[in-house]
Amino acid sequence: MVCAQVEASPGKCWQKVLYERQPFPDNYVDHRFLEELRKNIYARKYQYWAVVFESGVVIQQLCSVCVFVVIWWYMDDGLLTPQWLFGSGLASSLIGYVLFDVIDLGVGRKQSGRTRWADLKSTLVFIAFTYGFSPVLKTLTESISTDTIYAMSVLMLLGHLIFFDYGANAAIVSSTLSLNMAIFASVCLASRLPRSLHTFAMVTFAIQMFALWPMLQKKLKARTPRCYVGVTLLFALSALTGLLTISGVAALLFALLLVSISCLCPYCLIRLQLLKDNIHGPWDEAEIKDDLSRFLM
Amino acid sequence: MVLKVFFPSCCATAESGLLVGRWIPEQNSAVVLAVVHFPFIPGQVKQYLSEVQRVTQINMCVLGSWSNSKQEKEEVLDKFLEDLSTIFSHEPWIQLSKERDSKFWSCCIFQKYPSSPKEDEFILVYYDQRKVMLSQLHPTDNLTTSADHKGNDASKLGAVFDTVAKSKVLFMTDRYDDGPIKLTHWQSEGVEASIIVELMKQASVPVCMLLTFLLSLVSSVCKSRVLKFWPLSFIWSKLSTCEQLGHRLEHLQIISSNRKAQNQTQLMRKANIFVSLLIDMALGILLMSWLYRENRIGQLADTLIPVADHIAKELQDLLQWLMGVPAGLKMNRALDQVLGRFFLYHIHLWISYIHLMSPFIEMILWYVGLSACLGLTVALSILSDIIALLTFHIYCFYVYGARLYCLKIYGLSSLWRLFRGKKWNVLRQRVDSCSYDLDQLFIGTLLFTILLFLLPTTALYYLVFTLLRLLVVVVQGLIHLLVDLIDSLPLYSVILRLCRSYRLAASVKFRVLEQKAGKPLRLLMQINPLSYGSVVQTYRLTTYACYPKDSWSSLCKKLFVGELIYPWKHKGEKQD
Repeated sequence: MVCAQVEASPGKCWQKVLYERQPFPDNYVDHRFLEELRKNIYARKYQYWAVVFESGVVIQQLCSVCVFVVIWWYMDDGLLTPQWLFGSGLASSLIGYVLFDVIDLGVGRKQSGRTRWADLKSTLVFIAFTYGFSPVLKTLTESISTDTIYAMSVLMLLGHLIFFDYGANAAIVSSTLSLNMAIFASVCLASRLPRSLHTFAMVTFAIQMFALWPMLQKKLKARTPRCYVGVTLLFALSALTGLLTISGVAALLFALLLVSISCLCPYCLIRLQLLKDNIHGPWDEAEIKDDLSRFLM
Repeated sequence: MVLKVFFPSCCATAESGLLVGRWIPEQNSAVVLAVVHFPFIPGQVKQYLSEVQRVTQINMCVLGSWSNSKQEKEEVLDKFLEDLSTIFSHEPWIQLSKERDSKFWSCCIFQKYPSSPKEDEFILVYYDQRKVMLSQLHPTDNLTTSADHKGNDASKLGAVFDTVAKSKVLFMTDRYDDGPIKLTHWQSEGVEASIIVELMKQASVPVCMLLTFLLSLVSSVCKSRVLKFWPLSFIWSKLSTCEQLGHRLEHLQIISSNRKAQNQTQLMRKANIFVSLLIDMALGILLMSWLYRENRIGQLADTLIPVADHIAKELQDLLQWLMGVPAGLKMNRALDQVLGRFFLYHIHLWISYIHLMSPFIEMILWYVGLSACLGLTVALSILSDIIALLTFHIYCFYVYGARLYCLKIYGLSSLWRLFRGKKWNVLRQRVDSCSYDLDQLFIGTLLFTILLFLLPTTALYYLVFTLLRLLVVVVQGLIHLLVDLIDSLPLYSVILRLCRSYRLAASVKFRVLEQKAGKPLRLLMQINPLSYGSVVQTYRLTTYACYPKDSWSSLCKKLFVGELIYPWKHKGEKQD
């Protein structure tokens, strides 16, 4: 009623300003209000195969955890000797190290300014500390129940998967925390192994798996995408075969998980993108469009 | 305006005469100190008063007249008394008269220049001159309710008390001393029975001088530089016996100093210290006489070694229990064994040390027992020190356990920050995020895991030894508390309060004697003694405080973090 009366008075035009006294109530808006409504301005259009390609990081990480658990299982059952694991790990690490430099022809190394001496030192630190602490690690969890250890390891590995840096820009991502959780889980699991040499091999393997392998992957993905797809497929297949030797059901479930993540989830994302109904308008919070960089000088 | 007259109750039966005292104009009250009897020569009275005034520093004057109408004929007297006011000019002139066979006194006032037209009111307040003279008024420090009002009252009363106390000289004159004028006031009982006191007074001067000399000798030896080097000074500060002896030395110096106490508080302090010293020494000698009879020292020494052995045995059992599976807890076996063997070796060392000492223990005890003649507190301090020495192994265990635990807690807290990718920024006093290298992360996490799984073992050892240590500390604390009690209790004040309660006055109360219209109100002033609690609080002797300086919460926090707790920290020392 009030609005209609006020509107009826001619000559006065409503303005969207607060610094002038106007003959309208505070909550008054006129018919032009909805003209500024915008929809889905930030929505992105995805290509199906591009999304599948990007999901490769998640697949890789899931497979890393799977391979680690499978290898631990072999070690625990005595199917794998620690010498063999350490030897093969060392060999593959050397291959990976060479690949790491070959892929971008040494450009990345020059940019980071890291010398080979520093690499050698890190390697020595890893091996020496792991070897020195392996007897301690072996007896560390003796008195603690195996179930507790398993539960703790599962929690830590889940945490590793959750906090891993998949390339998303989110607050939850913390590569430090995820790596630390993986190392914690590996130490817990390794302490269940029969001898200290087993422990040593297992912890070394965990470093290769959770610290070094993702670095190589990232470079592969950036430089040679085709090769990266091949490596991902190969890695997933090997993880599946490894799991198959332990339990068929687990392998089946894992395969379903991988397929759903790499094929089903991208499909769902693109389908659901169509249903997106995001409105923007003058009621949004104010955004400062001005270039802030001049204030930061 | 009400006019108050403070009248000594001992003068109620005095013969007629002049009222002599002090006029306090601010309060419009008169404090009567004495009655001068007839006959007198006015010039002599004035001279006498000026002499008294010179000695006591009180403005004494003739306040008015007093008539006790038993013998005199009233008409003649009235005229005479009125005339007196012209001789001794005082404003206002008070005339008090007691009538025969009547409980009421009449009182009237003469003013040459009547300032207030209306009739003045009188209040007669009786006070016991002796009690008021001897009592010490303690102003109440109540700041809570109507502090201003109360303080005002207290200062008014204080002026009255002060007047009476200062005119002590007036009361000390002998009753049989024939002066030019005759006075009635409270009189001391005389000095005929105090020859012994006089002799003691005479003797105390050389004794005090000798004592002062000896004490200065002893304290100069104690302060000599040889005893100030590091290990010795550290030991002195840790032994409670030394502290107690130093404390007593200070007390003796205070007593034997031949400086006069400046005020009542200092006098009371001296007396308190003296009585507490006497009682302390009496108790000590009692203890000594008990100890050195029937070979009790030997028996004590014989039981001491088995007790120490027994404690060591119990500790060994405790360690064996800890090395197993204590209370079903899951401990790290390897660390458990290492710690257990380490502590067992310590106990072994301790037992051999005690057995090495055993032939000498009786002799040591015999000589140490002699120190009881210095006082019970010294003996108790020595007992506390002996307990500290005999439980040295427990202390060692506690220190090892606490250090280990502290290390673990600090390591874990900083590694937990590393685990989350954070670090402690010292400059800004906060936790910042930080990017670590791969090898730092790896080693940090490895150490974190190890420390985390080893923490329960260390924590259990720490807990058990802390409890043992706390037990010893509580025993020592109780002994120290007892010593402190004997040191700080103002026994002289308490005895004074018990036997002569008027000496320590907190306030006064007034009892109405008679009240009748047209006659002055008569009140009896009685002294309210100080309560025992406030006596102890006011005259408490300062002691070296041996209480822990921490509050309970900070103590708990220290215990949790694993910092060492020092129950014997003294005031002078800093916390860190």
